[in-house]
Amino acid sequence: MAPLPQLEELRQVAARHGVTPTDEDLEAVRDFLSVLLPAFAELEQLVPPGTPPAAFFLPEEGP
Amino acid sequence: MSLARLAAALRAGELSPREAVAQQLARIEEVDGDVNAYVAVRAEEAVAEAEALERAGPGGALWGVPVAVKDMIDVAGTPTTAGSRILAGNVPREDSAVVGRLRKAGAVVVGKLNTHEFAYGALTTSPHFGPARNPWALDRICGGSSGGSGAAIAAGLAAGTLGTDTAGSIRIPACFCGATGLRPSTGRVSNRGVVPVAWSFDTVGPIAATAEDCALLLGVVAGHDPEDPSTVDSPVPPYAEQLAGGVRGLRIGIVDELVEQAESPIGAAVEEALGELRALGAELVHVEVPLLRHAGTIQQAMQFQEATTAHMPWLRTRLPDYADDVRARLLVGLFLPSTLYVTGQQARRIAFEEMRRVFGRVDLLAAPTMPVLPPRIGEETVEVGGREVPYRLALIPFNSPWSLVGSPVVSVPCGFVEGLPVGLALVGPRLGEATVLRAAHAFQTATDWHERRPAPASSTAAPAGRP
Repeated sequence: MAPLPQLEELRQVAARHGVTPTDEDLEAVRDFLSVLLPAFAELEQLVPPGTPPAAFFLPEEGP
Repeated sequence: MSLARLAAALRAGELSPREAVAQQLARIEEVDGDVNAYVAVRAEEAVAEAEALERAGPGGALWGVPVAVKDMIDVAGTPTTAGSRILAGNVPREDSAVVGRLRKAGAVVVGKLNTHEFAYGALTTSPHFGPARNPWALDRICGGSSGGSGAAIAAGLAAGTLGTDTAGSIRIPACFCGATGLRPSTGRVSNRGVVPVAWSFDTVGPIAATAEDCALLLGVVAGHDPEDPSTVDSPVPPYAEQLAGGVRGLRIGIVDELVEQAESPIGAAVEEALGELRALGAELVHVEVPLLRHAGTIQQAMQFQEATTAHMPWLRTRLPDYADDVRARLLVGLFLPSTLYVTGQQARRIAFEEMRRVFGRVDLLAAPTMPVLPPRIGEETVEVGGREVPYRLALIPFNSPWSLVGSPVVSVPCGFVEGLPVGLALVGPRLGEATVLRAAHAFQTATDWHERRPAPASSTAAPAGRP
């Protein structure tokens, strides 16, 4: 997982989506990402390569 | 009066639908100024609908029963705002599938209930509609996102309600308000005509006074909807008829990790409740739930991007109109790689298989619904285990593990701490609502926590009163 992005990087990504957040918005996003990115990096280590993904809508049987 | 008792009284002719609706509207008029559970009251429409029901004569399990739905759920002709400014002028032409089923059963929808904006948060402190206040202590939140539903039940402002739950939004307000709330299995209830949060986790479900009331409501709204691909095509059991089986012989797995993480008086109340279930004949065992610690992360790996996708048009054109917290959460999804979504789905499959194994050993799991008491309005952190943590992070380990695998969960009141309600969560295997409700009903047959109601509007928590 990439390191915590700078405001300018976030602004450019948002612009590519046609979204124009304020600096305050992007600071709030960075606060979230500072918690989320390390957890997501850990998650990537948890999943064995080749594991098939769950279906989007879960099947009827089990667990 | 519980929904079940009110429905029986209406069928017996002890009161008419018009009287039931008029009494409900009068109660709303009297109390909701303090509580703010409702964002819209359909007074004229509800009276007219009650009159029409009377002309047609008795029919349907909920004939003449006044109910209310979260303002994420479409009712034809009444705005669905989702607690937002963005949807202020959104007036649906058609009922949602669940409201259609409520009407077919004879229920009268008296209004729309307050919610965290777009159901994307657990506070229900809308900057657009004002906070829904906890009837047990008006300076505290009632949880969320279905906060208005929980508050309405606690304050006697509806006989039954529907909320929605993506990551705890039925269970949390039910717990904080001393109500009974059921998150059904994902796919058990149609989401057609409901504003989405994250499609693969969303479900509609009841919040009411008792497990019996929840069983009646679920029996009405559950079932396959050919127009909603998320619903499962599986027969709907007669939940209300199956309540009486008790818990004798049921094997209930205590999720020790969560009991220990909760604030100690809450953990103690839950352990006492489990003792009650043992006395009723359940076998209690201790279990470890694999991936419990990671469940929140796994859910978030998908939920952020599903929610952001649902909101893309408005993120481009109406960004300043969101509340600050919701705007930040929705923006996060723009910055996460698509590979993370697939990683989340891979981990979800593993969690699903692990949980299948757990439910091969036990019939139900038990844990605290929430680790803390409802915070005061405006407080953003809570103390858990001597550590100050953001409220939004404290709730995740107690709710996401069950949302992630699409399991049904009921929260039942199981005690009071500092005059505020505490909830016991009973979790079942997928489509195991009947067992979950049966255990909850057995517990409520032996206890009276669910019968306690708050004293009239108070700004501080007071000892639990009797009805």
